[in-house]
Amino acid sequence: MSEAAKGARQLALVFDLNKCIGCQTCSVACKVLWTRGEGEDYQWWMIVNTVPGRGHPKDWEQMGGGYREGVPQPGRLPKREEWGGGWDFNYEEVFFGGKGQEAYLRPVGPEPTWGPNWDEDQGAGDYPNAYFFYLPRMCNHCSRPACLEACPRGALYKRDDGIVLRDEERCRGYQFCLEACPYKRVFFNFARGISQQCILCFPRVEQGVAPACVRQCPGRAVWFGYLDDEEGPVYKLVRLWQVALPLHPEYGTQPNVFYIPPLAPYPYNPDGTLDKENPRIPIEYLERLFGPKVREALSTLRQELEKVRSGGTSELMDTLIAYRWHDMFKPFDRDPVETSWS
Amino acid sequence: MKAVRLQLALRTLLNPAAPQWQKVPEEVIPLVGTPLHLQPTRYIRTAWADRLIGAVRAVRVKVAFSSTHIFFRLQWQDPNHNVDYGDGTTFPDAAAILFPINGDAPLLTMGSPDSPVNAWFWRANLRAPQNLVAHGLGSVEKAEGPPLWAQATWTDNEWHLVLARALGEGNFSAVALMPGREVKVAFAIWEGGNQERGGLKAFSQQWRILQVGQGRGQL
Repeated sequence: MSEAAKGARQLALVFDLNKCIGCQTCSVACKVLWTRGEGEDYQWWMIVNTVPGRGHPKDWEQMGGGYREGVPQPGRLPKREEWGGGWDFNYEEVFFGGKGQEAYLRPVGPEPTWGPNWDEDQGAGDYPNAYFFYLPRMCNHCSRPACLEACPRGALYKRDDGIVLRDEERCRGYQFCLEACPYKRVFFNFARGISQQCILCFPRVEQGVAPACVRQCPGRAVWFGYLDDEEGPVYKLVRLWQVALPLHPEYGTQPNVFYIPPLAPYPYNPDGTLDKENPRIPIEYLERLFGPKVREALSTLRQELEKVRSGGTSELMDTLIAYRWHDMFKPFDRDPVETSWS
Repeated sequence: MKAVRLQLALRTLLNPAAPQWQKVPEEVIPLVGTPLHLQPTRYIRTAWADRLIGAVRAVRVKVAFSSTHIFFRLQWQDPNHNVDYGDGTTFPDAAAILFPINGDAPLLTMGSPDSPVNAWFWRANLRAPQNLVAHGLGSVEKAEGPPLWAQATWTDNEWHLVLARALGEGNFSAVALMPGREVKVAFAIWEGGNQERGGLKAFSQQWRILQVGQGRGQL
């Protein structure tokens, strides 16, 4: 990796998949703040998907990109219908057409076939041992950003705080970035002819305010801060306790969004008793998402949980519970109301 | 190549179907794909290693000028009519005419830091053509220049495009085009249905000398 592409420090997020309830408050916080402009209607820089699932865009994990043994892998552009979303609704008819009793709210135009959260709560497995969990997905602000390396115009750059940012003036909408991004978190603006992606709320971050997706989470399920801040929870969860893992590390881009893997309740035996020997979510599935280290991460989580259950204390469990909200994103805990935005 | 003098109004010659174009001699210019090794990023070189670059193999060119304007009429075969980004996996068709701003600019690398090139860039989804300047691969920028005009039609699996600009002295971002002078020129075509965009295109390998004649009323 070139030094120019390497941020001096790295901002990172940790999502606790045991706490995320799929409420999409993060998604909507991002949406109302950043993607209400022309051509941005279908863009969800932050979205929570149900997994196992096909995700957003549909089957993104099969679209290529990223690196294998350091070599860029060809990726394919998603079709617009594989993103879905950005629908127009018949508000006029329902709210102002005098047909409120008969008309119901529905998308107008072509019948939607996919959307940002199309397979919500479907998951996998059979009753009574069905399973699913929520996976918040956003730009990973990778340490080796495939988007940045793919762009022939140098329109993408990595700031000293690790944020991967796009110069919209230099972007000419070639979409090599979108092909190369294995997470498919780049969005083409069909109206403006340029690509766009999560900016990690850099204007907030510069004023000491955490990104909107972080600050608005009602479940205290996400931490934010510098990865090398040894006093901060991000460092402790990722580096010290190693219970927060990147999504698809095999893609080779060194992502900086990390996830605490889900423990999930015990499955049932056929006789209705709890099966305490086997996990409800197949470990192979979690390994496919988070790599082989997920076994050890889950084992650490169980041990620490057991400590607390048997009357002991655990700094890890206290961190995950997040007693003090501000501690989740210090020093970016300034209230946006107290800042001025010029 | 020779530009033929036709004393006609801008709006007349901008029409690719104008009958007056039939009198202008045509040159068939072969095109080749830009070389893979010159694609500016490793991603593009890897992803396009086994793909066809430069789907359009020739462009037919006619050039005319009036007392005020110069006109290039380009015609090329393209069975895919890509006027926008389609289903998200194609790109709009495009064409460009390239000139060195000062004589020596290398064509293969789209100019160099010292020797920029000027491109008139037409793309099927743009309202107006763009005046571009490049100082090497990956450095294309929109630049101020005299207004450009374009009119295009797609019929019988072919694009017919006329690009025009006022004759006049050049500057740092626009080529000089004056009657009685010669100018180097090159052409590029992007087949959007083949996902061609940016450096992925078909181009005429060498500069061609265009004589903008002095005589009047040649036809």
